[in-house]
Amino acid sequence: MEVLGYLLDALTPFNLLLALVGVVLGTVIGALPGLSATMAVAVLVPFTFTMDPAAGLIALGAIYTGAIYGGAYAAILVNTPGTPSAIATTFDGFPMAKRGDGGLAISLATIASVAGGVIGAVALLVLAPPLAKVALAFGPTEYFWLAMFGLTLIAALSVGNTLKGLVGACIGLFLSMIGVAVVGGDVRYTMGMQRFLSGIDLTSAIIGLYCIPVILDLVATRDPHLQPSVTGGLRVAEGFRMSLARKVNVLRSSVIGTVIGILPGAGGSIAGLVSYSEARRSSRDPDSFGKGNPDGVIATEAANNATVGGGFIPTLVLGIPGTPPDAIILGALLVQGIKIGPTLFTTDGNIVYTFIWGLLIATLLMLPIGLLIGRYAYASIIKVPKAVLAPTVALLTIIGAFAIHSNVDDAQLMVGLGILAWILNRYGFQPSPIVLGLVLGSIAEQGFVQTWLIGNASGRLPEMFFNRPISIGIIVAALITLIFPIWAEWKARRRAQLEAAGEAVSDAGTEIAPEVKTRDLPSIVIAAGLVLLGIGIVIGARNMSMLGAVFPATIAVALIALSVLVIVQQLRRPPGPPRASFVWDEGTKRRIALGAVMLGWVMLMPELGFLSTSLIAFALIMVIANYDSVPARTWAVWMAAGVVICTGFWWLMANVLMLRMPAGILF
Amino acid sequence: MKTAIATLFAALVAAAPLAAQTAEEFPTKPITYIIPFDAGGESDISARFQQADWEGVAGQQVVIQYQPGAGGAQAWSQLNSLPGDGYTIMGINMPHTVLQPLAGSVGYATEDLTPVHYFHYTPDAIFVKQDSQFATLEDLVNYAKENPGLVTMAGSGSNSSNNLAAIRFNELAGVQTTYVPFSGTGPSITAVLGGSTMAGFNYATSGVSQGDALRMLAVASDERLPAFPDVPTFKELGYDIVGGAYRGVAVPSSTPEELRQRISDIVSQINATPSFVQKMEEAGFVLTDIGYDQMDEFVAARIEEYTAGAKALGIIE
Repeated sequence: MEVLGYLLDALTPFNLLLALVGVVLGTVIGALPGLSATMAVAVLVPFTFTMDPAAGLIALGAIYTGAIYGGAYAAILVNTPGTPSAIATTFDGFPMAKRGDGGLAISLATIASVAGGVIGAVALLVLAPPLAKVALAFGPTEYFWLAMFGLTLIAALSVGNTLKGLVGACIGLFLSMIGVAVVGGDVRYTMGMQRFLSGIDLTSAIIGLYCIPVILDLVATRDPHLQPSVTGGLRVAEGFRMSLARKVNVLRSSVIGTVIGILPGAGGSIAGLVSYSEARRSSRDPDSFGKGNPDGVIATEAANNATVGGGFIPTLVLGIPGTPPDAIILGALLVQGIKIGPTLFTTDGNIVYTFIWGLLIATLLMLPIGLLIGRYAYASIIKVPKAVLAPTVALLTIIGAFAIHSNVDDAQLMVGLGILAWILNRYGFQPSPIVLGLVLGSIAEQGFVQTWLIGNASGRLPEMFFNRPISIGIIVAALITLIFPIWAEWKARRRAQLEAAGEAVSDAGTEIAPEVKTRDLPSIVIAAGLVLLGIGIVIGARNMSMLGAVFPATIAVALIALSVLVIVQQLRRPPGPPRASFVWDEGTKRRIALGAVMLGWVMLMPELGFLSTSLIAFALIMVIANYDSVPARTWAVWMAAGVVICTGFWWLMANVLMLRMPAGILF
Repeated sequence: MKTAIATLFAALVAAAPLAAQTAEEFPTKPITYIIPFDAGGESDISARFQQADWEGVAGQQVVIQYQPGAGGAQAWSQLNSLPGDGYTIMGINMPHTVLQPLAGSVGYATEDLTPVHYFHYTPDAIFVKQDSQFATLEDLVNYAKENPGLVTMAGSGSNSSNNLAAIRFNELAGVQTTYVPFSGTGPSITAVLGGSTMAGFNYATSGVSQGDALRMLAVASDERLPAFPDVPTFKELGYDIVGGAYRGVAVPSSTPEELRQRISDIVSQINATPSFVQKMEEAGFVLTDIGYDQMDEFVAARIEEYTAGAKALGIIE
């Protein structure tokens, strides 16, 4: 009962205040794409040096858990994960918001996040030392298979279009290889350009791939960004009822999140993806996933907040940080003179347990705070006129991509990838498989090469890959996820066919009539381009060390094969009616104008300066996004709002986050 | 708490206009200290230790930022484009800044960078799990001689200090071990603890954080470490391996001479602060005091050493 005694230590007014402020700050930072939990924790570490260790830890833990939760807002309201942990939240959260259930989605995300956070923190409180062994049981082989398991989700995400989904994954895997390789040390596919040395930054890629298409579509029509809600508000009571009805999902996802949080290097994004995939698999209605199924939001949000508590387990017990924010917090503890490691829970039990209780309290505080902030965020997204919303979201994407490394290159890459993603998406190559490949690529590659090295050294290569108990478990789960959607689709079609043909028809000899689809020329062009890319990858791999070349070569072969299959598949289809040639309508004009403004913005930023280009671009996007005739006074108000938003963010970044802002020749 | 609010306030008003100033007055506002790696590694932790004593020595805070990428090359290639007013400094590491330009085009040359102080190094060390069959380095060498290639060694990264040390060890001991690169100290220590590899070439600092769970067989320092009085050095055991990752502070090349010296002095003074020394030594770091005046000589000696190592690694002819 000693442990309970520390609860009283955590309940001091000062600690409660820290937890409150931490959660609010974290939620806001997490909601802004690109401003990550890592950044927030890093900036605030020095302030904790002067605090009592437990109080400092509570503040940092509260910010961390708040930021992971806050990522859901941007995911639900603008289809952009505020943090990588919220990638899978976009799958169902944004469709829900689109159809007018945004408030409900936020309520569900809040409730699931709190539930997941509490379960993760309780695991940390009660079971930390034994659970830390999980981190050690996962060797390179298990990481490799875990990444493969993550990739099988593509089959579920792209039903009816699996081939293009797999091609997308290969593109993502290729993007993940750019830069200096961890294993082998080769400099790969940078085309001699400095900016690609450190690879494609995941966060800026996510912002580009998910958010730029949303802005492009936002300005193309006069429809509101989100359908207004019928009942209004966050529908909290309904949210609680729905969550309660889905308690199995909440529990399963929280446990998955806790366990994956324990694995160093895996993190919230993979936890969210795995639990999403599990929720879909065990659902009675898997087809509704990706179209706004509340279970998808619940699964991801419960899992990613559970990784917070889970991630602290190896951090505190083994001194091996589970996630990047954990690593910073670990450093802060060392500075405080606290020895991390197996003895921490006994020698410094008062600090550790006070902190864990503080984390639990902070997680619970997330419920009222989240619902309050969520209500405000949702209302403002719905109320703000399109002419202000579009440039503000555009500004946030640029800030987010820039802030990660104080580097304009990342913002340029973000816009470029975003425009590319919009085009690819139009022809059936969706962004999610690309993101999946990018997230999982380096884990898969490192796990693969390390397993190969270790297996080769002992001459037991096949056993290393296929004969370890945990690996077998993951492989089985992966196979089920891979085959189940295909089987379910076949069964559904078969049932439909049987119903159409009448019940008297026997099973034998029936074939499923293929869905009639027509040939799609742009898909063939894109696939042909990807074949060329694959050949380029193979040629590039020839000068690399063996360790560095094996993965690119494998991916290139897969990319070429799959792209050829896409071409064959298209050629076998009947040519469709001649497509109306390029439609030069209102929406297209506005899309192109917006794309040009965004590109000009990031290209001129280093020359002219951050603030000046932002002000100009903001005004231009306002004009592009506006569909109404607006009196001059309203314009003046909008312009003033634009100036306040731009300078406000600029000031925040330059003076609070201490980022080096491009000054250029103007300002 | 009062101090916390005061420092927060100081950080907020830090945008004060940049007046011309002399080196004696420097610094008059917080300094940005860029770490070219992720948080939680040795570079971060030693910088955080410095940060705790920085204000007491320099009169101003230091703000740590992370700019990871390409094993540090991303940040180092941008160092000289940063303002040379002394308010932006960057962590710098050896052998990274020698081996990277040798291995490929990484956007900077070793001579482009301006280190002003190398304040410590973390010696390489061989670790095994607590219940490993190897009680001494001799056990490991004998086993490796009987089973060429079978001993796997986890380490942090390719073309890194760990990698160099593993190759040099193979050469001096006349054995063949398999070096398995991981993406950092954390994952490679996890591999040793979890038994994925039979041993690991890591930094001595890991021995402190893992306590009894790991056994250190030998350490590549000149003398035994205060934190590990029972662990022999490689030298004692007859292998001439001394080295590890050296860490220092660099400035943009446009920084004036007097500011370079001043920053070097600040780092030296922190190195002499008892609380800092205690924390560093307890954590397994070995302090060095290579100031700006000895820098050219130190860097030249390292370049020579690591160029030889690069040949052994096969990254240059």
